[in-house]
Amino acid sequence: MEDSFTKTLKALADPSRRKIFHTLIVLASAIPITQVVSEFEISRQGVTKHLKVLEDAGLVHIKTQGRQRYCKADAKPLQEMNKWLQFYDKFWDDSLNSLTDYLGNKDV
Amino acid sequence: MIATNDVITKEVVFNSKIDNVWNAISIGEEISKWFLKADFKPEVGYKYSFRSPNDDCEQIHGEVKEATPYKLVYTWIVAGTNVETKVSWELQSTDEGTQLYLKHSGIAEYDEDTAIKMFESFNGGWDNCISGLTDFL
Repeated sequence: MEDSFTKTLKALADPSRRKIFHTLIVLASAIPITQVVSEFEISRQGVTKHLKVLEDAGLVHIKTQGRQRYCKADAKPLQEMNKWLQFYDKFWDDSLNSLTDYLGNKDV
Repeated sequence: MIATNDVITKEVVFNSKIDNVWNAISIGEEISKWFLKADFKPEVGYKYSFRSPNDDCEQIHGEVKEATPYKLVYTWIVAGTNVETKVSWELQSTDEGTQLYLKHSGIAEYDEDTAIKMFESFNGGWDNCISGLTDFL
């Protein structure tokens, strides 16, 4: 079974999905799926498929209201990812700093 | 920091000759001086391990996948986890010295529990083993 973190990353690994997600984040409100379709040069089916993957990853919430389906972005799952990247980011920064020091001392 | 999906990329220029940098990253005795206590050889297939400097417990292990000057690639498995990530070092001579491209990929494979363990351990500056799990197993 895939954990939520992996799902998040996989959902955002696709450039079209990143674009859709980004657009929804910028809009910051629930918008009809038809509007999402009109914003992108992808078929309605394509958009629906992408939205489904984003929804599974918790990055998008889809709600039906009357005859319209609305979607809204949720950035929460990204926090976990940031934690991880931040962890190794700092780890390698620190390590490379000590490598720089080590090389500096060696050359003297 | 350049982070695309699950990859961390670092680019650093060292004011040192390429062979000095290569030795520093690929020879166990040298790695031990600036990084973690290393049992490491730049030979493809070598099963290396990095230990914490103070305690002597294993932190990281993996296998060397590529070791031809000036490119070094190895898998990176944190003790107590089954998650295999990959670290790649590439060096290039430049006018100022040596350019390093470091890439750590596969970070997406970690689950959240591992994240918490790693954070706790890292906050202790790697001095503490990630041993809770290792001992348990």
